[in-house]
Amino acid sequence: MVEKFKKSKIMEKYSIFIVLIFMVVICSLLDKNFLTKNNLTNVARQLAVGTILAYGEMILIISGMLDLSAGSVLALAGVLSVSFYKATGSLIGAFLIAILVAVICNLINAVMITNFKAPPFIATLAMMTVARGAALLYTKGQNILQLGKYVVFGQGDILGIPTPIIFLAVITVIIYYLLRHTALGRSLYAIGGNEEASIASGINVKLVKYKVFIINGILVGIAGVLFMSRVNAGLPNGAVGYEMEGLTAAIVGGTSFSGGIGTTMGTLAGSFIIGSLNNIMNLTGVDSYVQQIVKGAIIALAVIWDIRSKSKKTSKVILVEEKQDKQLNLNLN
Amino acid sequence: MSQEIKLRVSNIEKSFPGVKALDKIDFSVRKGTVHALCGENGAGKSTLMKIINGIYKPDAGQIFIDEKPVKIQNPIQAASYGIAMIAQELNYVPEMSVEENLFLGRLPTNKFGKVDWKKLRRDTIKFLKDEDLPYEPDQKLKTLTVSDIQMLEIIKAISNNASIIVMDEPTSAITQREVEKLFEKIAMLKKKGVSIIYISHKLDEVFQIADDITVFRDGTVVASHPAKDLTMDDVIALMVGRKITNVYPKEECPIGENILEVENLYSKGVFKDIHFHVKKGEIIGFAGLVGAGRTELMRSLFGLDPITSGKIKIHGKEVKIESVHDSIANKMVMLSEDRRRYGIIPVRSVMENASISSLQKFFYGGYWHSKQEKEMVGNYFKKMNVKTPTLETTIQSLSGGNQQKVLLAKWMLLEPDILILDEPTRGIDVGAKFEIYKLMTDMAKQGKSVIMISSELPELIGMCDRIYVMNKGRITGELQRDEFTQEKIMKFAT
Amino acid sequence: MKKRLIAMGLTAIMAMSLLVGCGSGGSNNTSSETPAKDETKKSGYRVAYIARAQSDSFAAWLANEIMAEAGEYDDITLDVFDGQADDEKENTAIENAISSKYDAIIVQPNNGEAQRPYVEKVVQNGIIAITTNARIDGIEGASSVDADPYKQAAVNATLALEQIPENARVVVLNGPSGNFHADERRKAWQAEFFDKRPDVKIVAEDFANWNKDEAMALMEDWVIAHGEIDAIISMNDNMAAGALEVVAGKPGYEDIFVYGVDGTAEALLLIQEGKMTATCLQSAIDLSELILDTAHRLLTGEEKQIDTDIAAPLITKDNVDEYIKIYKERGLITE
Repeated sequence: MVEKFKKSKIMEKYSIFIVLIFMVVICSLLDKNFLTKNNLTNVARQLAVGTILAYGEMILIISGMLDLSAGSVLALAGVLSVSFYKATGSLIGAFLIAILVAVICNLINAVMITNFKAPPFIATLAMMTVARGAALLYTKGQNILQLGKYVVFGQGDILGIPTPIIFLAVITVIIYYLLRHTALGRSLYAIGGNEEASIASGINVKLVKYKVFIINGILVGIAGVLFMSRVNAGLPNGAVGYEMEGLTAAIVGGTSFSGGIGTTMGTLAGSFIIGSLNNIMNLTGVDSYVQQIVKGAIIALAVIWDIRSKSKKTSKVILVEEKQDKQLNLNLN
Repeated sequence: MSQEIKLRVSNIEKSFPGVKALDKIDFSVRKGTVHALCGENGAGKSTLMKIINGIYKPDAGQIFIDEKPVKIQNPIQAASYGIAMIAQELNYVPEMSVEENLFLGRLPTNKFGKVDWKKLRRDTIKFLKDEDLPYEPDQKLKTLTVSDIQMLEIIKAISNNASIIVMDEPTSAITQREVEKLFEKIAMLKKKGVSIIYISHKLDEVFQIADDITVFRDGTVVASHPAKDLTMDDVIALMVGRKITNVYPKEECPIGENILEVENLYSKGVFKDIHFHVKKGEIIGFAGLVGAGRTELMRSLFGLDPITSGKIKIHGKEVKIESVHDSIANKMVMLSEDRRRYGIIPVRSVMENASISSLQKFFYGGYWHSKQEKEMVGNYFKKMNVKTPTLETTIQSLSGGNQQKVLLAKWMLLEPDILILDEPTRGIDVGAKFEIYKLMTDMAKQGKSVIMISSELPELIGMCDRIYVMNKGRITGELQRDEFTQEKIMKFAT
Repeated sequence: MKKRLIAMGLTAIMAMSLLVGCGSGGSNNTSSETPAKDETKKSGYRVAYIARAQSDSFAAWLANEIMAEAGEYDDITLDVFDGQADDEKENTAIENAISSKYDAIIVQPNNGEAQRPYVEKVVQNGIIAITTNARIDGIEGASSVDADPYKQAAVNATLALEQIPENARVVVLNGPSGNFHADERRKAWQAEFFDKRPDVKIVAEDFANWNKDEAMALMEDWVIAHGEIDAIISMNDNMAAGALEVVAGKPGYEDIFVYGVDGTAEALLLIQEGKMTATCLQSAIDLSELILDTAHRLLTGEEKQIDTDIAAPLITKDNVDEYIKIYKERGLITE
């Protein structure tokens, strides 16, 4: 029984990676170009923005919230950042402006949710429309062009490794560290798992929620810089729907919508699964409509697989130790 | 009382992954009788009841009702056979109202099929009046205490005209007077020919009302006899497989000076004029009926709810407690009554549940000291005899008693001076109860203090040095150990 | 409970602020509910312009130009309404304009067939109706001003006929599926180029929905999958620019041919730099001039009904500089 227990534990802990490996194998069989350095680098580069957003969604979902405004805030932060660079020529300034703008938007989210008890869905939905409107208002609906050196963020490379991938790697390490090696990370799981129990256990839930949104803001801001510099334009209409992609990657990667469960590596794997899917379908020329159907079906399958392998965790443990001696003499009249 | 068999199960087997929960169970209940099931947590009683109620399907064996074989696929089918079950772990929807809950599944409809809310309201008001319950029909369940909800569930099941009612720990959350009301109802049901399966750890109650007693241990039936043929000690011995002598491990401990003084505590609309004190080494009890305000008082003391006015002094110094953090900083902790809602974090591991209030002990120096956490938590678990396959097991797969011990470990990790316990032994088997009492005594021996809210008078009388009694938000009486009697307590409580 | 109400109120206010603030800025911007007013003019004609959306950069540009052009007319007061890319909202806006008794209503449809009955209502109420970008055909009594998407693509296709080498491998980027302009342009490419050049192979074709980033992602994968690509044929400039972003300057792609439509500032600059081959100008400036001119003629009774198109000039390296000059004058390109 102990062996069976161990095997099912491994299955459930690594199930999403098994799916990822499975996908990679299938993809490499479907198209010989898939496993080439060029293609994989491409995929990683394409995934950088989405995965960074997915990390933001992940930490929010783990703590029982979510963010529907990510795509819009990304656009707002991005266009303001680009604009700042064109006005001042300062790359660092532009980078910080993007983060500042995104953090401010997310603090507003945090206030609505924490102080005014607005449901996260509604609050971030409102921010989604407001931020998008603000981006359009600022740019008068037009794209900002001629970015000059700004593109270095998304199109440059360091020692041959494209910058988006470096950003992604560094951020992955930081998020991993946050969730695993800090009290804040542990609190996220607790709050998402049972907020009232967390309060009753002495956790300052309000403060933690503010911190989570600030971190999300930093991630969204960085994503904004990477996005705009990749497309070489300040697109106020860019990244529409990206929050859904982030949510999907997090969920496919094992983050539970009901809170309290999720891992950095799982989300990374989830993002790669979806990204590889898109990539292989483009490589093999699958029709656009079919792509949508396939994508939806595979995401559903990945999530169902993941849920089933986790369900073992929740069945009641009835007997734990050896049975006791049943022989007992009784005098019954 | 007839010899006619109403319900019979034969050769029932049930296994879960890695565990055999029920092993060749034969069990029968006579018509119009109360049949008690006793056994430690995990012995199999709840599993068998879930099979009878259609929640689980047996791997083998047969169920007979009125000696006719039946297949029970789901609770709705069970209900059609006249089976009603009042579960131990109350699953309630906090946002649901009293009237919605009362008529769940059988909302009155008008001839168009729409819900007749007026009739629902009328029926509910009549019902609440008949049963003498002080609730409003549109009150949301989240405003009721666990005791209220349990009472409601019991009465609901009775009013649904079941012929077999399973009651799983029905008196765990209600007070003496309500227990008596319940027993009156049970007697009435017996006369009508209803059979009742009564699962309880409270053996004195069992012996009060049971006609037959069946004892489960480790998934099998170890004994099944008419109640008159057994003594309480026999049953305990059968349940645990060994003899237990001392139910309440109370010891004399040196009493020191005041560790906690509460003066003039007032929370608008909840409690008023609260004065009490606790000395080092004391175990203080808080008795009272459901709704007396005990839980509310302790929640305010612990920093979960606000106080309108009043003073709290710890170690003689006045302190301001405006959050749980403040309370913990003053070394005062509280184990909540409703562990589902305020206690456990269901999807996380037992280790994480135990360490959640002591995070700074394992997250410092820039990284997570996981080995330290495992050791520390593991030690406390060993001390308190927490039964769990591994430290990574999710807490919701543990039995109620073990969950409670994990939560206690969480607080003990903080090495508190004052331990507040709100109904700590509710729904817990004899063995685990004993361990919690021992813990209380150990605390007292070390010069710490314990405050226990309980609706189980024998428990209060057995373990406490002094008992405060509350009624309608005020402290109505204080009794010393040498004057403890159930009658005196009840007098102050009403 | 009180906190919840405040929360709901706050979010409602935020949602409202979108309606008030969204669009191309300036004092003339509006929601579909309340119009913005020009400075009050002496008695003249009141004209309503119902834009399909102000979040799509061409529609925004067009709205801006229409407002600017209206300012040139002493006897026209123009109010702009935003259909917010939603048929329901646009139709409501048209109805509101009818009730407000405008002298002329110009409609830029979100979806021609959805707006058709409402434009018919405009005519029935004796109000001058003009549809534009894209015109709604066959409404008795209504006028139209448009650019011809078929022509816009055809001028590029004709150029491509000479330029694209034999047995070339090309990729095609399409606008949103079912979009009239996207479909017409693709039709033109088919008839004017692909049908005439069976030697040319389309190695990949997909929808990038007018978006630069979508086109970019597709092109990255196509480069891996198909290696040698000789031309990018795009139904608009945004997508062409996106695909070009991936390969511009990369070895093996220096001579790639790139065709688009719209004549955006970005495209003009790319053509000037020699990275993009050609585009067709869909000048919001020309369109707005033509619209106002048409409106004025109809309002003064000079004509009863007009259907007209702006030109579809091809822009290549040879003539790009003059267009850039115009853009610089209008402030659309800054240095």
